[in-house]
Amino acid sequence: MSRDLAERDDGIKRRDFLRVVGVTGAGATLTGCSTAEVEKLLPYVVADESITPGVATWYTTVCGGCAAECGMWVRTREGRAVKVEGNPDHPVSEGGLCSRGHATLQHLYHPDRFHGPMIREGTVFRQGTWDEAERLLAARITRAQNPANTVDGGSVMFVGGHMSPSMGRLVDEFVGALGGTRVDYDAVTDAPLLEAARIAYGTSSLPRYDIGAARLLLSFGYDFVESGASPVEHGKGLSRMSAVNDESHAKGSFVFLGPRLSLTGLNADEWIPIRAGSEASVALGMASAIAGPGSTGPYANLLQSYSPAAAAQAAGVSVEAIEALARRFASESPSLALGPGTGAHHRNATAANLAVMILNDVAGNVGTTVHYDPAAAGGLAGASSSFSGIEDATRAMASGEVGVAFVHGTNRAYSLPASAGFREAFERVPFKVSFASAMDETSALADLILPDRHFLESWGDSTPRPGVMAIQQPVMQAVPLFDSKQAGDTLLAVGGHLGQDLGAATFYEYLRGHHLAAAGGSTEDFESGWRQALRLGAVEFDAPDAAVPQLRSPQTALTFDAPAFDGSGDLTLIVHPSARFGGGEFSNSPWLQELPDPVSKITWHSWLEMNPATGEERGIRTGDIVTVASPHGSLEVPVWLYPGIREDAVALAMGGGHTGMGRYADGNGVNALDLLPAVAEQPSGALVTLATTVSVTATGRGRRLATIEGSSDQYDRPIAPAVQLALLGEAVEGAEEEHGELMAPQGVGGFVPVPAEGGAPAAFPLEGARHGEYAQAHEGPRWAMAIDLDKCTGCSACVTACQSENNVPWVGEEQVMMGRDMNWIRIERYYEHVDATQAGDLDVRFLPMLCQHCGNAPCEPVCPVFATYHTPEGVNAQVYNRCVGTRYCANNCPYKVRVFNWYRYTGDIPEPLNWQWNPDVTVRDNGVMEKCSFCMQRIRDAENRAALEEGRPVRDGEVVPACEQSCPAEAIVFGNIRDPNARVTQIVASERTYRVLDELINTQPAVNYLKKVTFHEVVSEAH
Amino acid sequence: MSAPTGILASYEYLDSTVDAITGLRKAGFEVKAYAPYPDHHIEHALGYDQSPVRVWTLVGGLTGTATALAFTVWTSVDWPIVVGGKPIVSIPPYVIIMFELTVLFGALATIIGLFILSRLPNLKPAVIYDPEFTAGRYGVYVEADGTRLDEARRILNDEEPIELREGQVAHV
Amino acid sequence: MANGGTGTATATAPETATERGALTHPDLHRLDDVNRDVLKMLGRPGKGWWALFGLAATGVGVFLTAWLLIQVPFGIGVSGLNSPVGWGVYITTFVFWVGIAHSGTLISAILFLFRAPWRQSIYRAAEAMTVFAVMTAGLFPLIHVGRLWHAYWLIPYPNSRFLWPNFKSPLIWDVFAITTYFTVSATFFFLGTIPDIAAARDRATGLRKKFYTVISLGWQGTDSQWHHFGKAYIYLAALATPLVLSVHSVVSWDFAMSIVPGWHTTIFAPYFVAGAIYSGIAMVITLIVPMRKIFGLEAYLTTKHFDAMAKLMLLTSLIVLYAYLCEFFLAWYSGEEVERTAFWNRLFGNYWWATWIMLTCNGFVPVMLWFKRVRHSIPALFVISFFVNIGMWFERYVIVVTSLHHEYEPFAWGMYRPSVVEMCILVGSFCWFGFWFLLFTRLLPPIAIQELKEVMPPPMRKKATTQGADS
Repeated sequence: MSRDLAERDDGIKRRDFLRVVGVTGAGATLTGCSTAEVEKLLPYVVADESITPGVATWYTTVCGGCAAECGMWVRTREGRAVKVEGNPDHPVSEGGLCSRGHATLQHLYHPDRFHGPMIREGTVFRQGTWDEAERLLAARITRAQNPANTVDGGSVMFVGGHMSPSMGRLVDEFVGALGGTRVDYDAVTDAPLLEAARIAYGTSSLPRYDIGAARLLLSFGYDFVESGASPVEHGKGLSRMSAVNDESHAKGSFVFLGPRLSLTGLNADEWIPIRAGSEASVALGMASAIAGPGSTGPYANLLQSYSPAAAAQAAGVSVEAIEALARRFASESPSLALGPGTGAHHRNATAANLAVMILNDVAGNVGTTVHYDPAAAGGLAGASSSFSGIEDATRAMASGEVGVAFVHGTNRAYSLPASAGFREAFERVPFKVSFASAMDETSALADLILPDRHFLESWGDSTPRPGVMAIQQPVMQAVPLFDSKQAGDTLLAVGGHLGQDLGAATFYEYLRGHHLAAAGGSTEDFESGWRQALRLGAVEFDAPDAAVPQLRSPQTALTFDAPAFDGSGDLTLIVHPSARFGGGEFSNSPWLQELPDPVSKITWHSWLEMNPATGEERGIRTGDIVTVASPHGSLEVPVWLYPGIREDAVALAMGGGHTGMGRYADGNGVNALDLLPAVAEQPSGALVTLATTVSVTATGRGRRLATIEGSSDQYDRPIAPAVQLALLGEAVEGAEEEHGELMAPQGVGGFVPVPAEGGAPAAFPLEGARHGEYAQAHEGPRWAMAIDLDKCTGCSACVTACQSENNVPWVGEEQVMMGRDMNWIRIERYYEHVDATQAGDLDVRFLPMLCQHCGNAPCEPVCPVFATYHTPEGVNAQVYNRCVGTRYCANNCPYKVRVFNWYRYTGDIPEPLNWQWNPDVTVRDNGVMEKCSFCMQRIRDAENRAALEEGRPVRDGEVVPACEQSCPAEAIVFGNIRDPNARVTQIVASERTYRVLDELINTQPAVNYLKKVTFHEVVSEAH
Repeated sequence: MSAPTGILASYEYLDSTVDAITGLRKAGFEVKAYAPYPDHHIEHALGYDQSPVRVWTLVGGLTGTATALAFTVWTSVDWPIVVGGKPIVSIPPYVIIMFELTVLFGALATIIGLFILSRLPNLKPAVIYDPEFTAGRYGVYVEADGTRLDEARRILNDEEPIELREGQVAHV
Repeated sequence: MANGGTGTATATAPETATERGALTHPDLHRLDDVNRDVLKMLGRPGKGWWALFGLAATGVGVFLTAWLLIQVPFGIGVSGLNSPVGWGVYITTFVFWVGIAHSGTLISAILFLFRAPWRQSIYRAAEAMTVFAVMTAGLFPLIHVGRLWHAYWLIPYPNSRFLWPNFKSPLIWDVFAITTYFTVSATFFFLGTIPDIAAARDRATGLRKKFYTVISLGWQGTDSQWHHFGKAYIYLAALATPLVLSVHSVVSWDFAMSIVPGWHTTIFAPYFVAGAIYSGIAMVITLIVPMRKIFGLEAYLTTKHFDAMAKLMLLTSLIVLYAYLCEFFLAWYSGEEVERTAFWNRLFGNYWWATWIMLTCNGFVPVMLWFKRVRHSIPALFVISFFVNIGMWFERYVIVVTSLHHEYEPFAWGMYRPSVVEMCILVGSFCWFGFWFLLFTRLLPPIAIQELKEVMPPPMRKKATTQGADS
């Protein structure tokens, strides 16, 4: 990340500071973990030397949000975590963090968390003490293990979700000592990919993709930007491969093959809308075309039976498109094909994944853009989670073999199709234990709940990829309202009661002990390594040399044909993980509920995606509520017409329709899994999500969608223009006028226009404005931003980051419907060319829209009380306490980035969710206007630090707004545009630079955009 | 010489009133007239010329203009705040304030001038006064002493007043 | 008053009397007939008045409840306003009432300076209407702002930090324009009323007498009082006339000074002023037609008055219609995509109905005024004036809402639906206005007594016979 460069030049000040507190902080919290009596956060009876009131303390840790395990920086104030950010030193995530990562902070302070161990008494839960709960559990286990016990006896079963490697080991040891079994399962799983990798290359770990290195990228419906194995890493990779290089004008191209354009798909340059389930045919057809008739290799025979023609036939697209793509895939190496991924878990998913692997192999991409790690090295990664496992488990439970069942880190009762019968089976288990930290559908059935800690309060480790080890350290005392205990500690305690010896008293010791052993026992090397891991958040040790593995011939018979779909409906139902909620585990976060879906821009509720043509022939319009019926169930959901989906398919996102998860999740939308059969894909055993056809019938009712989208057509306005790659470097007509002399009516009290020397935006403040604190404004900085639309993937991480940093409230479905969402930054999405009927160019424009901090800000002069004005540093400031609420500024803002507090939105945020608030930012009151401040608090922070150190000016890269910090695509750059060496200044020098609507209304924005670059000719070039 | 007393004559007709006034003024009396509406014949007979109210209006208006200009410019430079890239002292918008204050001050000054010149408000009860003056009657009032009073009475009577009252009106 | 009378009374009075008296009031003989007719209106109110007054009072209750007990405590969110439509019914109604406020001072001041002979019997009611309309309009910015309790920050007062208002903001211009207009109109209104209050005082008894004695400021109608009064009145009229034209220009600049497509246009000032006079005249007709009925003022409000007002209404309606057409033409002629979309959307977009109501009521209905028979039929005028009132409210609604809901950034386009609270406040504002106007008709002479006398033949002793004949 270029921010490091800037700091490394000059012997890093802030980074050192962070490292130091990283360690001392860890030490402090460590004592906190081991000694129970230190529970108060404030006031300090004995001041913690690492914490200065009013000064932020930063810790590194690992995001526990999903299996990607991105590196995190956590900003704490007075012992409270107030903001999470990507850790630039983490080798995998490299400083990016997704919306879900940001939202984990809300789960830490979630008012729905348990206040202590809950023990069932009849139909209700009673809060008990930990000792009581642990002894009870130990007693029940002993009782269940007693062979004489025929009433409620039985084996021990541990049903787990995603957990850190050490935790997994501890569970195995614990369960193993009891002779029990452990099954893992996630609703969103890569099992078919794993299985295919095992079949093809005999590895037990997921393949690693070097997307950034590819010149031609293919995705067979794999949504790697929003919900893949590692969204941040892959999103970064996409932006690196597909963003144009302004010197060489090189740009990788990205082709998306699939029935529906996910967020990932919207970033493609070309869309081949293949029929759902035809991935294998297409991949093999291409492979056969590349390999040619005389091909050898384990799959030669297979390839013989496939051809582009057959593929085209199966996919419902033209054969030319597939042949052309095949030629390019071979020639434009290194190329890379991904997928089908979690969006297409049909009955032949493993075969489809295998087919894509064959395609990569044929094109010779193995070892260059796709890597398969030998099984040994990948040992920790990729738990063998499979639906077949849970099927057996369910059977065992139903048959009464299980005496005690543990549930950890998953919510089975929600994330399995009702027809799987898990709920009923689970209820039959005599004693059910849940480690959930807040109530959910599964815990509601439990007999004992031992609330686990949030990952920001607990220890853990991660191996995001072989050769990388990261330590997850607690960044603060456990939130005192919630008497929680880390599941590891609980297991060890219970084990103690059962007389087990797991070699440690606390999970921290267990963890350290394991890594000490792994390091070969030499303590001092380990100490340094350990400290480095805590400091930087991750350590890299030399990975085993990646010997390119050979493709093996399959031992299992697989069918590569199009899968069968249940039912006789005329529309194929695509159930895909939500870009916001994943499989539904994030649904209880108001930030994510109110985050507009990156594709549909809809908040809070569910929607059914349907092609406009399909809608038209059925007389269904956006907002109409329809009944979606499959052989396995039916539900009612509003329709959103979407040109990015095939006419023979409809799509539903997971994550809605919770019934017992919490105040922000329940009752929002529908649970798409209710339409699915409980079928396991063979041989991987993953739950089949692309399984059924549905019939869609209008109910005659309708509703207003809670969307932030006004129009997806930019009406040829100079808002989100693009430039054809071929035209880069050529002189653009009209560029002269655009950067021509800037005249401003500044003479004789505003009567006479005078030329503003220097041109915008450096020219501001103009003369006539140079009084008082503006007199010397030209020596000071002028803050500006550059946003590269060719990099932006529309992932919306910046939106949640901004919400978290700036105390932006959420307003709820009703208010969003009225058009009152409060986000300071929104990702606008304009369609230029989207055609679901044939293969061809795809042109969708994403535009992060925030306050443009105009030099000639239309909002400023209309305010009667100077509540908004221009600072000498060129920021358009909003003085909340001065605002009277005339809303004139919002009317006059052409970018519509000003939002108004129609009610006291921040007033009804329940304890302790409001502990997350950033103490450096005002919480706005009823009746005032607010908007993006360029993270003024961070600018001031950097200026103060610089002033404390030898009174130097702020260096480039020291001020990093929340949006820039979290952007996985590195599309946003902020800095002082008066500094010729600043990154922002150099980026703005690009020929692609433009400023939204500036030619039209001369607002002179400080936010500069770089046009998106397309391969095709840009038809509707706005102005 | 006895203390001066006054006579108030009420007339039904305009011309008789005018004649009475003219007669009295010929005879050198100080005359005051009452009417239900402003009548230029009476003013003519009393020989009025321009009213000084207009001076109040003019001065008030100009004061308003000056105040507005001074105030807007001073507040702008007193705490300079840049809005919309406009000059700190931006005259065109201030012209509107100047216009408004011109009118406001001018109008208020006119009223003040009127009140001062015509001694309003004046709530002292009139000693002699004919309530019909606000309905249909005209009135003429003269003040004199002894013999001159009789002369005045004679002139008033020539014009056939509806009634005559003697006494002193509150000075208006 | 003094219409170039020269020579002696005997010479001028008769002929002026005939040609002036004949025009307006044929069947008035004696000066005090006017006092009799006008002052009896201040007597015991009838059933009709009480019914209207009760209705108005109830409406005021609803108005204040919706505003002070619901909107202020809970927040402006109880309205339907949102982003992008931050201004809605409140601003629409504000502009509407400011517009209504116009014809009062217009009829009074401008017609006074031009010596329009049909002014006397209607201007008092018109002026009262002006004052109460401004009182109503002035409430709406307060109703509209998000933090009522800080609204006083718009007033330039030396606060602790010497932070003054932003004189570059059209809203501050509004503060000055509206307050000035209210002060001057109220002063003008009161000044003209003083002699008539004195007249009322001289006929009244008991409590009313005390009341009138105080507010008549001891007016007696002496020559010097009349002299200065006359001059002061002329100068006030001279000041009020440009003020009338300026106020709605300033209000129009609230929109024209912005960059919102549909607002940002140079014809707004004249267009708004014409519209204001138009709606004002319409409101005058709407008010005095029932007044005429209730109080039996047929002698004072003749078809000649209505005919004159109808003509003025016709003229202004043509100006307004021309302005509409200009806007649409210029939007097309500019070739600017944003501008064109805005006006196309106005005619055929989500709010097409509002636009067509506006065009029908303001542009097409008044065409009937070309016909003398319509102008002379008071019921017809009453109905037309009603249409115009409705049309002019929708004109402001169209300008405010349709322009805002589709602005520059298509992705941020949105819809606005007024809430119940907004509707209560809208309707309540009419009751609030009616409340004061009904009180006025009871407490102050609703027709200018002294000015009517000016245009009546003065009583003359000489040639009394011929006088009687031709008057």
